[in-house]
Amino acid sequence: MRTAHRFAADPASPRLWRRQVGDRVELWTEPVGELPAVYGERWTEFDGHPLRTFEPARSKLAAGIHGGWSGPLPRAGERWLYLGAASGTTASHVADLVGPGGDVFAVERSLRPFARLDRLAARWRNLGPVLGDARTPDAYADLVPPVDGIYADIAQPDQVAIVRRNVELLARAAGAAVLIALKTPSMGRERTAPRHRERAEVELAEFVDLAPAVRLDPFQRAHYLVGGTWSPGGGGRAAPVIRPRPGTRRGPRRP
Amino acid sequence: MGATLVVAAGPKLYLLPADAPRPLAFDVPSGPDGPLRPAAGDPDAIPSELDRAIAALGADVELRAGGAPLARALSRGLGRPVAAATVAEWRRARASVPVAPPDAARRYLRAVARAALDRALRAPEEMLISLAREEERLDRAVGREHRASEAFLTVPASPLAAYSARWSVERERWDRHLDALREEVERAARSVAPNLSDLVGPRIAARLIAAAGSVAAVGRMRAARLQLLGTRRRPSPERGPRFGILYGADRLGELSPARRAAFARSLAALAVIAARADAYTHRSIAADLIRRRDRRIAELQRRRP
Repeated sequence: MRTAHRFAADPASPRLWRRQVGDRVELWTEPVGELPAVYGERWTEFDGHPLRTFEPARSKLAAGIHGGWSGPLPRAGERWLYLGAASGTTASHVADLVGPGGDVFAVERSLRPFARLDRLAARWRNLGPVLGDARTPDAYADLVPPVDGIYADIAQPDQVAIVRRNVELLARAAGAAVLIALKTPSMGRERTAPRHRERAEVELAEFVDLAPAVRLDPFQRAHYLVGGTWSPGGGGRAAPVIRPRPGTRRGPRRP
Repeated sequence: MGATLVVAAGPKLYLLPADAPRPLAFDVPSGPDGPLRPAAGDPDAIPSELDRAIAALGADVELRAGGAPLARALSRGLGRPVAAATVAEWRRARASVPVAPPDAARRYLRAVARAALDRALRAPEEMLISLAREEERLDRAVGREHRASEAFLTVPASPLAAYSARWSVERERWDRHLDALREEVERAARSVAPNLSDLVGPRIAARLIAAAGSVAAVGRMRAARLQLLGTRRRPSPERGPRFGILYGADRLGELSPARRAAFARSLAALAVIAARADAYTHRSIAADLIRRRDRRIAELQRRRP
């Protein structure tokens, strides 16, 4: 029988909780809003803290944390910019992590997902919807004050360049967090996923002090979580990729 | 740096003269549908107080705006050329401008989002997409209900028969509602994409546009991609998916099943051309495309089955 252990808050980001269940670790975030669930995730309560699951199969950020991401994470009280928020699945968790004292500005370009994001923002008090294209940050820069971190999940071949434009305009100061859920399938078929990641990291190293990238297998095929902290003069070379060790992780649960 | 900067932050515009110690704030006026946004390039959003304050600085002062859209709005609103500031200048200006308190900023942000969403969804093309999706959903739901209700057994002159009669009245109302919705979709499709509607039928045209996201998106597709819109699964691992939205097109059913795939390929090529005309040139080329389509049907019908 599996034994569920107690929840433990992450020391770096205290609104992120972990729990060991059997041989796997579950991630939970402390919600900013109330039930009902945003996208059908489980809710529970521990020691007076309401919690909701942060499934690695649903969210690339969760998959990255699950895989051992050592770079910066959204912390309580920070202001974050979220590029490519879609209907707000991961954006709601980023909003949970920054908590009621922080802010998340969620940029989305497509109308129908944005309509859902807007509805979510009505009950997630620190989530701000911005209808705009991440390619042109000067069209929404008036709505977004300088931010402490930028998270991007955009299916564009030039996603790193798009993030760079946003960082240079909207990041508060050097040291701001830059996280990209790198989608190599959107970057062309001429290269394999590891080659795409290498090239993206070379491009990123021009303005980011890189943390080791994390492969998001088996939760997301050919995706990586890359990034680090903004360093305008150019950061250091990337450390090697953190790969999933065989046997330590399980794939998404099949319904 | 002798330039005077104008930056937008939330519902305010800030003027930062080169020698002034603090930025001057100006409220942006509100429009009938929600807040106006100078930073989105709207010249009506330039407050007249800002105009006067700039005039007071003198005609020879060099003005720069934070961002190209704001520069455009200022150039038109003030009637004088305004260049966009460099990113470094803009960053410095933003850092010296106060951040609105969270509640006020949030109210403004949601109002802007609401207004932008309403404006975008009011476009005829987006209306068509919404209607087409609703029609597709109801079509599935009503069809499923009709099939399911056939399994309901009744006995004459019993409470079951009375129930069945009551339910069939409801079902007829559903059908009437769906028919009315279809007419609305077809009318919208004919006005948004006349060529594509004439070629494949307005309902199928509407579904294709809804699946692709816009008429222009259909036009940008290759014919092979258009054929795949709306396909759910592969018939077998060796064969690709085939039965997409296009398989419901006008006149496709007249062909023998063995010829339908060949016709669907030619029709997809014609449909992309039709969508290009609808999205870009706005010429009426449907007559020519229909002639080519019908020639292809005749050709396929002549072949041995």
